[in-house]
Amino acid sequence: MDQEFMAQVETKVTAPTETPERGASAMQLKNVAVSFHGRTAVRDCTFNITKNRVTSLIGPSGSGKTTLLRALNRLHDLTPGAKVAGQILLEGTDIYRGDITVTELRTRVGMVFQRPNPFPTMSIYENAVSGLRFNGVKKKALLDEAAETSLKSAALWDSVQNRLKVAASNLSGGEQQRLCIARALAMDPEVLLMDEPTSALDPIATLKIEELMTELKKRVTVIIVTHNMQQAARISDDCAFLLMGEDRAGELIEFDTTEKIFNNPIDPRTLDYTLGRFG
Amino acid sequence: MSIVIPPPPDFTTHEEEAAEFNSAASSRTWYHYLLIFAALLFGAVSVGFVGTIVWNSAPEWAHHTGTLLGGNGWQSPLGPFGGLAMIVGTLETSVIALVIAVVIGLGTSISIVFLIPRRFRNVVATFVELLAAVPSVVYGLWGFLVLAPWMLKTVIPWLNSWPFAKELFGNVGQEDGQSLLLASIVLAVMILPTFVAISREVISVVPNDLIEASLSLGATRWQVIREVVLPTAKIGLFGATFLALARATGETVAVALVAGGVANVQFHLLYPGTSIAAWIATEFGEAQGNEVAALMALGVLLMLVNFGLSLISRWLVSRQRKVLAVV
Repeated sequence: MDQEFMAQVETKVTAPTETPERGASAMQLKNVAVSFHGRTAVRDCTFNITKNRVTSLIGPSGSGKTTLLRALNRLHDLTPGAKVAGQILLEGTDIYRGDITVTELRTRVGMVFQRPNPFPTMSIYENAVSGLRFNGVKKKALLDEAAETSLKSAALWDSVQNRLKVAASNLSGGEQQRLCIARALAMDPEVLLMDEPTSALDPIATLKIEELMTELKKRVTVIIVTHNMQQAARISDDCAFLLMGEDRAGELIEFDTTEKIFNNPIDPRTLDYTLGRFG
Repeated sequence: MSIVIPPPPDFTTHEEEAAEFNSAASSRTWYHYLLIFAALLFGAVSVGFVGTIVWNSAPEWAHHTGTLLGGNGWQSPLGPFGGLAMIVGTLETSVIALVIAVVIGLGTSISIVFLIPRRFRNVVATFVELLAAVPSVVYGLWGFLVLAPWMLKTVIPWLNSWPFAKELFGNVGQEDGQSLLLASIVLAVMILPTFVAISREVISVVPNDLIEASLSLGATRWQVIREVVLPTAKIGLFGATFLALARATGETVAVALVAGGVANVQFHLLYPGTSIAAWIATEFGEAQGNEVAALMALGVLLMLVNFGLSLISRWLVSRQRKVLAVV
């Protein structure tokens, strides 16, 4: 039985088409570790995130994928006891450097969350331009243009252009998540962090978001945490595999192109995981 | 390959359970009847309570509704019994108290949820809830013995130095400082813990998702509070406001102690006045005949107002749940 099963699973993964040649780094992680009240949650993360590629963070629960992702736009800043060690460079600048304005950083590194979380008291339009308004943009012409462009980029414009004033809570789960993507895109970020963006969605909505991501990477670098190995294989160009160590802290096991991670990894644990032997 | 669905296991449906529960079988023991008796007794007491108050106030409603709702002056023991002074006094004291309490209370709840360090947060929140449980007579006593002399000495001279002070507040009323303003301030202090306790709860259940979403769009902490947290909590905050208002309008002893107990329509806040609840409490002892009916009628009025306020706040809280449910 085992061999049969293996044969089914071991379909060769081919990286998504149109993967650009490896270019400049959008972000560089050097020995990044995150701890809460002195307890390390994730450590030893050193890898480069290449511009205009989709980088996925995979690994079982507790391996620190989300914790690592949230360090990339300093979302841990408000968590008491949280400490980020090592270096995270955005375009060569350490994002934890003292003179970096965190609100400005977050406009450059956008985020989409696990559960669709549009602002329930705002309309579709207001949600799409909420980030711009937070940052002081008031001109209606500018906001209108940003709303249209970002909703188009999130493949939502056609279905909502006639009901922009409607409360965002009237949208379906998949549409809400695409609105959240549009909301992040409206800021024109360099990097888009996605924390299991499809885990609360049905398969059709998931497929739409995945299609969207391959489109998005032309203009923004995407980093996605996913639980779903097929998803990582389908959409990501590069892949970081994390695993929980013996002291229950997550650590980076391997980073490479997705093709390599899934077909020819260096570490046997990576193979075990991608073949579904654990996790 | 055909799929075989296993037969369902042996189980009891809820319908059967219900049938068993309601059947006249041996399960009806003495406590069954005791419970039904208790429930019936409660129903009878409630209906009797509301019924007798309404019944006893009926003569007044039948003959003097206009005087009761619009007349000024209360001529004990024969009448006429005008309720306007109490109605106006209740409105004045409650609304002023509410404005003070909402402004200070909203600031307090926001601070508790977002500004105070986490380890002190529960201590402060518990302390506020304890304040809400202090019996109102204690607030009244404090208002009369501590706040009134202090106001006479410091606040009132200062208020009198305002332009149009005389038109706004009148001259200093009674020697011991009882006034509508004092009653309003004591009420504000009393309803503040109620408002803070509920509004803190409402604010703290705004999903963290939304806060993080706004932060990751580059919002500052103040923008998160003003543009995401407060709008999301808005309906629940109105609910807290109406509950606080209900508490203010129904408050009796504290107002009776500090308002001065004068049944005269009064818009000068430094003069003594009274409220519906306080007036009932101070007058019922010597009331006879028609005066009893008049006081009962005021009681019915107060009851209806408070029913209304409670219903509104309940409705608002349920609406707030719906807002949060779609998040």
